[in-house]
Amino acid sequence: MTLRLQPVKVATGSDDQESQLVFKDGFLVAVLVCLSDSHGSDVGKWFLEAGFGPVDDPDPPLFSDLDEAQAWITTQLALTVS
Amino acid sequence: MQDDARPRKDPAGKPPDPDHTQTNPLIRKLDSLASLSDADRAVLETISADTRSVPAHTDLIREGDAPNGVYLILEGMACRYKRRSRGARQIMAYLIPGDFCDLDVAMLKEMDHAIGTLSACEVVQIPLDTIQELLRSHPTITHALRLATLVDEATLREWLVNVGRRSADERIAHLLCELLLRLQAVGCASSDAYAFPLTQVDLADTTGLSSVHVNRSLASLRERGLIEISDQHLRILDLQRLQALAEFKPNYLHLVRGAAA
Repeated sequence: MTLRLQPVKVATGSDDQESQLVFKDGFLVAVLVCLSDSHGSDVGKWFLEAGFGPVDDPDPPLFSDLDEAQAWITTQLALTVS
Repeated sequence: MQDDARPRKDPAGKPPDPDHTQTNPLIRKLDSLASLSDADRAVLETISADTRSVPAHTDLIREGDAPNGVYLILEGMACRYKRRSRGARQIMAYLIPGDFCDLDVAMLKEMDHAIGTLSACEVVQIPLDTIQELLRSHPTITHALRLATLVDEATLREWLVNVGRRSADERIAHLLCELLLRLQAVGCASSDAYAFPLTQVDLADTTGLSSVHVNRSLASLRERGLIEISDQHLRILDLQRLQALAEFKPNYLHLVRGAAA
């Protein structure tokens, strides 16, 4: 399963702007936002700003890097296939 | 620099009353709901005398436990909560000084939620037969406690509106307005400030938000000149604008005596 990332800026109403759209087979499945230094020790982590379909989560996780985020998204997408 | 933000025991600036019943938050709360007699105050003072200190983040009773008495919070802040299997927590109520946890819990065989401290607390565990005797012998206290239960239910309804129909900033603003009035009613807040032991995770678990969104909302409220948080104290800089943002109407707290009757 291959994901495609596309850098964007998201208007979160905060200093958190650097973001990535995450696509699977041309479909947008998630929006990841990199946390700014206003989040203290979580600065630089990636936050699941939005997830679509099986990637939606009421308790959205933080990821230490984009590889970890993509692995989690891939797992979520695979869960619905089985 | 935050010294003047610390809550005063008496927001009206009166000297401390030598009569301790005027500072007992349980008596202050029930006195605001019904006209207690001296005998009522004396019995409330007696049942709230045997306090114990409980550290922050400690369960008083867990989901599934058999009720083992009624807990009364005299200092600090506790909460009712439920936890999902993966660990996610939803807080359904804050318990502040003067609040009883589950007056009628004896009617249930087991707890359907947990009660835990959010900050260090002074707590009284009152045996169920003591409560039942209190309810039998002191009708005015019984009346006040029933009104307090109605206010608890009204507060829960307001929190449901919060998580279902308010934006992130509005949810936080509403909660901060509510806490100011509730804490003022028991002498634990000044006209605009109170001790604020809640973490961003606590607020997130209360408002159905992520801690990231809570962080952004608090920053937004600060940048708009509405609040200031420092050293675990919160000061509301512009109560009128904060209330307007949240569409906060204090009617559900029934803080005027007789309003809930």
